[in-house]
Amino acid sequence: MDPETEFLSSKRQTGNEWELFKENVRPLKRGRNVDLLNHALKAHTNDQLKKSLLENRRRLIEAIDEYQGDDPLQPWLDCIKWVQEAFPPGGDFSGLVLIYEQCVRAFWHWDHYKDDLRYLKVWLEYAEHCSDAEVIYCFLDANDIGKTHSAYYIAYALHMESKSKMKAANDILNLGISSNAQPIEKLRDAYKKFLARSMRRPNATEEELKEDDLPVRSFGTVLARGESQRQAIKTFELGRNKLKQDQVHRTPLSIYNDTNMDVTRGHHSKPNTGSNSWHTLGGRAERNKENNAMPAKWTSHKIPQRPVPRIVGAVASAQIEVFVDEECEEKPKVHDEKDRTSSLQLRELDGRNIKKETELLRENPLRNFPSNSLPR
Amino acid sequence: MASRTVAKDIITLRGSAAIVSEFFGYAANSILYNRGIYPEESFAKVKKYGLPMLLTQDEGVKSFITNLTAQLSEWLEAGKLQRVVMVIMSKATNEVLERWNFSIETDSDVFEKGVSREKSDREIMREIQAIMRQIASSITYLPCLDEPCVFDVLAYTDTDVAVPFTWIESDPKLIANPQMVKLHSFDTKIHKVDTLVSYKNDEWDEQ
Repeated sequence: MDPETEFLSSKRQTGNEWELFKENVRPLKRGRNVDLLNHALKAHTNDQLKKSLLENRRRLIEAIDEYQGDDPLQPWLDCIKWVQEAFPPGGDFSGLVLIYEQCVRAFWHWDHYKDDLRYLKVWLEYAEHCSDAEVIYCFLDANDIGKTHSAYYIAYALHMESKSKMKAANDILNLGISSNAQPIEKLRDAYKKFLARSMRRPNATEEELKEDDLPVRSFGTVLARGESQRQAIKTFELGRNKLKQDQVHRTPLSIYNDTNMDVTRGHHSKPNTGSNSWHTLGGRAERNKENNAMPAKWTSHKIPQRPVPRIVGAVASAQIEVFVDEECEEKPKVHDEKDRTSSLQLRELDGRNIKKETELLRENPLRNFPSNSLPR
Repeated sequence: MASRTVAKDIITLRGSAAIVSEFFGYAANSILYNRGIYPEESFAKVKKYGLPMLLTQDEGVKSFITNLTAQLSEWLEAGKLQRVVMVIMSKATNEVLERWNFSIETDSDVFEKGVSREKSDREIMREIQAIMRQIASSITYLPCLDEPCVFDVLAYTDTDVAVPFTWIESDPKLIANPQMVKLHSFDTKIHKVDTLVSYKNDEWDEQ
């Protein structure tokens, strides 16, 4: 009897937690095991099950430390897969971003894994969780990781496309095709679809002003367009996976500040020149200023370049004073074959630290990497 | 007044066959839409089962499904249909990625003794609605189909059935080691339909 007939005749039922709590479940590209999913959803309201979840996690982390074989990536993957199943909503408290980061950092200098598709996929999933993944793709490029795989070029190009850098996306896909990345058909197909989309774009303007991206002044519309394009791409390409909720969370909202001309994205920098903003309503002329102001050229206003955390990787993190509990202190990473300290840290992080660390990583995904590994 | 209500709830064999084959047509469309087999814009919205249901406007697919449901209805009326499976395969490699399995239990008393059954239309519609909702929500756990896919429909019938030439014998197109999820069922009291979706376990090291 085939498995399906067997299932049907056994009169077994599948729990329906997946449907009841579907809003709490982040779809995974690789799909989910429904029994694990139902179990995890039940656990979030059941202490007994919760304990067994934590027990499982500890075991998987131990397995990483104790692994003796010649494929040390495997126990990391088991752990990652498990966290994805056990924390259906994903989110900042799951520790998923931290595991991705520790995993990729453990092996970035391993020649053995440079062409390993599984390793590349961990990087690509990490990139999906960051607010600006470009720095990750540059890193992969500079360190020759994953460049024999189509998935690398496709993800990189999609990312550039979401930033409206059509020429860069085009070049990347072409490079992948000429490098004969595998599977080549998938890459060619992605390129065709990319061309079709770029024909349909409303503003076919070239936005290649500079190498680095200038922060875009968003009046809500541009940001929404960027996101909705990413949504549109994803909806078509990934078969209705509702990944767009995730995209909204990853890119920080840019809030237009009327009185302050320096708009920088995502940095909690200088305070507003406070007093005039919300305390006084202002006279009618001031309230109506948008309707009365005469349009003028914008040449006098300079938009400062967003500091890109590249060469200054190590220095940037020094500028932000983050209080770290002693047991969670990150030791400076050296070329360590088996990052024993890192998995210990995984074990000891609690909810608050996980969230804090996740947020830091989202903003600056390579912050823990030694500066000599970062692309110039 | 009482007699009118009763008359409405009587299910005939023909009526049940119509309900089930119609269900299958809408379910097939819903799967094609939700799994991205055909582009969104090739579907139009209609109201059915108290839900906004999407139907393909592609002439080829439309006629395929219409012929299919007509044939299923015939087999159902004869009580010979056991299972209908919608198979989704990769266009490039023909590998079976997903199977939507509708298995049918027919009440043999209806054929042998010619009894009729009673069940309110409303209730049947509610049961079908629950299944349609589940199909749409199944992206929660189904792997993303990020390559062009094609679909096919397999019918399991009793052996003594007349099969039109448009149908060919096929292998079962099974998935090895599938993940399986049982969805809701619906029952017209003459035909009971169980729904199961099975899909490939996605390994981390696959392209």
